[in-house]
Amino acid sequence: MAGDKSGARTNTWMFLLILWKSLKVRRSRVFITFFSIMIGAAIITALSSIYFDISTKMSRELRAYGANFFIGQKDSSGSRIAEAREIEDALAMVPQDKVIGASPYLYGVVRLDLGNAVLAGVDFAGLRRLSPYWQVEGRWIVVDFDDASCMVGKTLAKNMELKVGSQVTVIRNETGFQRKLTVKGIVETGQAEDEQIFVNLALAGRILGQEGKVNHVMASIVTEGTDIDGLASRMQNRFPGLDVKPIRKVSYSEGRILEKIKGLMALIAFIVLTVTTLCVMTTLIAVVSERTREIGLMKAIGADDRGIVLQFLTEILVIGFAGVLAGMAMGFVLAQILGKAVFGSAISFRFAVLPVTLIPSVCASLLAAALPVRMAVRIVPAQVLKEE
Amino acid sequence: MFFRMLRQSFMRGRRRKALATATIVLAASLITALMNLSIDVGDKMSKEMKSYGANINVVPKSESIPLEIGGVDYNPLRGQVFIDEKDLPKIKEIFWHNNIVGFAPYLKVTAELIGRGPKAVTLVGTYFDKIIPLSGDEEFRAGVRVINPFWQVQGIWPEDDDRAGVLAGAAFAREMNLKIGDTISVTMPGGKGKEHILAIKGILTTGGAEESALVAPLLLVQKFARQEGKVQSVSVSALTVPEDRLSRKARHSSDSLNSLEYDRWYCTAYVSSISHQIEEAVPNVTARPIWQVAAGEGTVINKIQLLMIVVTIAVFIASGLGISSLMVTTIMERSREIGLMKALGASETEVHLLFLGESTIVGVLGGLLGCAAGALLSQIIGLSVFGSTVSFNLIVIPVNVVISVLIALAGSLMPSRLIAKLHPAEVLHGRR
Repeated sequence: MAGDKSGARTNTWMFLLILWKSLKVRRSRVFITFFSIMIGAAIITALSSIYFDISTKMSRELRAYGANFFIGQKDSSGSRIAEAREIEDALAMVPQDKVIGASPYLYGVVRLDLGNAVLAGVDFAGLRRLSPYWQVEGRWIVVDFDDASCMVGKTLAKNMELKVGSQVTVIRNETGFQRKLTVKGIVETGQAEDEQIFVNLALAGRILGQEGKVNHVMASIVTEGTDIDGLASRMQNRFPGLDVKPIRKVSYSEGRILEKIKGLMALIAFIVLTVTTLCVMTTLIAVVSERTREIGLMKAIGADDRGIVLQFLTEILVIGFAGVLAGMAMGFVLAQILGKAVFGSAISFRFAVLPVTLIPSVCASLLAAALPVRMAVRIVPAQVLKEE
Repeated sequence: MFFRMLRQSFMRGRRRKALATATIVLAASLITALMNLSIDVGDKMSKEMKSYGANINVVPKSESIPLEIGGVDYNPLRGQVFIDEKDLPKIKEIFWHNNIVGFAPYLKVTAELIGRGPKAVTLVGTYFDKIIPLSGDEEFRAGVRVINPFWQVQGIWPEDDDRAGVLAGAAFAREMNLKIGDTISVTMPGGKGKEHILAIKGILTTGGAEESALVAPLLLVQKFARQEGKVQSVSVSALTVPEDRLSRKARHSSDSLNSLEYDRWYCTAYVSSISHQIEEAVPNVTARPIWQVAAGEGTVINKIQLLMIVVTIAVFIASGLGISSLMVTTIMERSREIGLMKALGASETEVHLLFLGESTIVGVLGGLLGCAAGALLSQIIGLSVFGSTVSFNLIVIPVNVVISVLIALAGSLMPSRLIAKLHPAEVLHGRR
């Protein structure tokens, strides 16, 4: 009994000694194994991190298309004008960090020097974030108490002979309002905005005699998938007097585009994962196969097959784990660099990345080690030692 | 002698060489696939982006300003100017005609409902899915179903030659309590003209102004308003490339371009040059880019292209390192052989030459096979994500082969120098 025990202990001790020696003596080989596993794990980690984050990142990019959400007064209630307060309450249901930009709109017809035009009161700070696609010649209006400036649509400017910096008189007969405004910027969008004149909401309220009122609010909200329909129906339930709807032109397309990008990324990540795993495997096979002689020697001095296989697998497992861990750290850094380069923001870490990297890397390492070792073990020692 | 040794090395170490080649094939196929994809992804995504609808709006040249708020015109006295319907096929005959995905004309008139109180509704006439014969044998499908894929219809779409079938906007249908199969009668405002009976074929959801209107075949609306052969505006959906410095300069003032720049601008599918060509082709119109779609598309496509390029570079570096580490192992294990060579009188240069020759062959072989495998891979990606094949750029082949050879050489340079320096006696004795 005692002999068995001490024999077992000697075996374990021997096992650890061989492991330690083989790691220490063959340092350059160990390093190459470690290195190739690390590189493989790093690229897998980086790509899977990006894949899990791509929807969030791209849906922010897709906000370049402008408003995807509309809040206005129900048509059937007769008037098309709503209390600004009520709509703001409704908009407050959306978490602040999800709202890229939002602006109220108040419309009315006014007289300019050379004819009538549609006047729109907006919140310029919100509008600028809401509609990044506006092509502005001159400058945006930046402060919301500015009541001496306006922005003019391109077609309207051409017809009214207005340039950046020129003066235009705005007259509203019903309220007796009359004031000269400076044209700060000329706007081109290719849509109805080209024929409108824009001023701050507060000023528009005074001009049109509709202070504290708005026609509707447009908002640009970051969403994933069909969240936006759910949001619209929740808001509609809480504010039955309002007309709340996603702008289909933008929200429908956004879903489709996100799906495509996600699919593309998924496929690329999968292919990179497979190919990189195979790549690591071939390298490991090369490293292990050159040790055929060593295996022959071990067999010749009495090691059993199981012991040899176990020893090699443990060795690879130790190196593999170290490589994968280092690779994951490196991959995460790489993901941050890619994220910064492409989206200008950090990629968040997700735990789903761990198994996706760990399992294929470790499996590939073990498989890559087992194949050549098993082959070597079957060979008669004398043959191997004779260099065949 | 050199070639014989090279051949021998390949014959004897077949397994080893196969492994090295396999690794290079794998890495090269990955790089090929990603390179191919990043070159083509712009075009592919641009097609997908067409789901955002038209990006060019064509209107008649006119002096008057419409006073339209939320789809209601406050200026009924405005002098109406029209585009001739028969000029529309000319849009498909411009220089970039292959980039015109679709177009849809619009004619909007106000109609008065009969028997439902004094209530007016906007009647929008358009093509739904109309086949337009072009010069030659080609046919072209135009209409809102092509350019506005986001329009959602409950029920069925009316035929373009239907004299009574219309779509009711969702908000209008709710307000009037209309269901599919109902009929409503309309006349011209003020009770002039004769009564038209319209049948609701479907309910339309768009999230836009059409939701509180009736959308009908163009022919029906032209007959109703007695404006035969006329349309008010045309929405055009075109495949475009993102804006850059040249197109911005052209937009600012097209006179500032010299003739070379003008030619380049004209022959590039910018949204501004396509608009310009439409203005040239169709008489008396102004074509304006819809910047919401055109600029948004540019931003997003640039982002995706950048993403693909950055990923390709990352994968490229990683596979380069992977191949190098493999080359190091395959060379290091041959120290005995090299020792023998040196003992027999080989110079260091000859040893180097042998290794470099081997690496080059492995690199070329691996690069070529990798190109083939990568081309296949990119087609699989293209077909499964975009449903169409990815065009294969020939430039990828030389780039890839050169890169594979360079990587293989770089990988073998360091170990071959180490190994060539070894002392023959030491190696043969087996201490190293």
